[in-house]
Amino acid sequence: MPDWQALVRRQLDGLALEPRERAEVIEELASHLIETFEGLRRQGFTEEDAAQQCMTEVKDWHDLRRRIQSARRKEDIMTNRIKQFWIPGLLTFVLAMSFLALLQKFGPKPWVVALRGVLPVATLYIPWLLSLPLIGATGAYLSHRTGGSQRAVFSSIVFPVLPYLLLFLVGFPVALIVDEHVAHNIMFSAFIVGLFAWVLLPAVALLAGGLPVQLFVSRRLNSRRIVGN
Amino acid sequence: MIGAGIKRGTAELAVLSVLEDGPLHGYEMARRIERQTKGSLHFTLAALYPMLYRMERRRWIRGNWETSDNGRRRRCYRLTAAGREKLSPLRQEWSELFQALRRLKKVANA
Repeated sequence: MPDWQALVRRQLDGLALEPRERAEVIEELASHLIETFEGLRRQGFTEEDAAQQCMTEVKDWHDLRRRIQSARRKEDIMTNRIKQFWIPGLLTFVLAMSFLALLQKFGPKPWVVALRGVLPVATLYIPWLLSLPLIGATGAYLSHRTGGSQRAVFSSIVFPVLPYLLLFLVGFPVALIVDEHVAHNIMFSAFIVGLFAWVLLPAVALLAGGLPVQLFVSRRLNSRRIVGN
Repeated sequence: MIGAGIKRGTAELAVLSVLEDGPLHGYEMARRIERQTKGSLHFTLAALYPMLYRMERRRWIRGNWETSDNGRRRRCYRLTAAGREKLSPLRQEWSELFQALRRLKKVANA
């Protein structure tokens, strides 16, 4: 039997991967050729014919090397993450925060609500909440268009509320522990009201725009991809 | 025989489908696809591995080295949650495409 490992190593010489990764690729491809060879021998091929048949598995080793390199490149993972999550996420965040800042400066007064008419209160910017479905839809479209997974698309949609969620989950408990001036008796109610006004309600608004777009674009792009193939 | 363009499009679906039944290494995967499609889909080494690596990078499948009973090390691929998530809509889309083509044939024969 030919030394398939040596053959693959020789043919893939210059494969631009980490040494361990390169060794694994060589071992895997050699193992495939060994099994192909043994399978052909079991079918009654002579050793020479089986070896010749195995060689037809790869017509152009140079092209295979290039395609393996391209398929395993680590930087592509990073590029994809940037395209599918960070860019759409940051864009939705910037859009949402810029519009909120404009509303706070030039817009109508916010709607101030209180639980049972007493503290703690929540400040709701209604025009901002109404704009969020559009912003969520933008995030979903951009993330899905670049091939984002459902998780990446979902994260891009709700990205603008993630800093608030972090603030409530980390900032509040820390303030409660560190700042002795904080009135502990109203803290829990304030936490719930704040979470509702700045995290849950905006997240629902973002998803109300983002999820239908994700569904719609997903169907359209996939149909196009199939036809394109 | 199915043409190369269509084969490229169906290849990922074929891999995801056979892995749905359980983990397989590359050679076994290629043979099973060939057997189940009665030879219409034949994966050479050159066609199979770049695709497997690309699918692994997208986290649709995950490869792990395993040692078989005869002591041979082989890389077995499993379907991930993301791959399973991808499989169902892909099947639906291909089914829709084939239905559309069948309808087209009926129209042409009418």
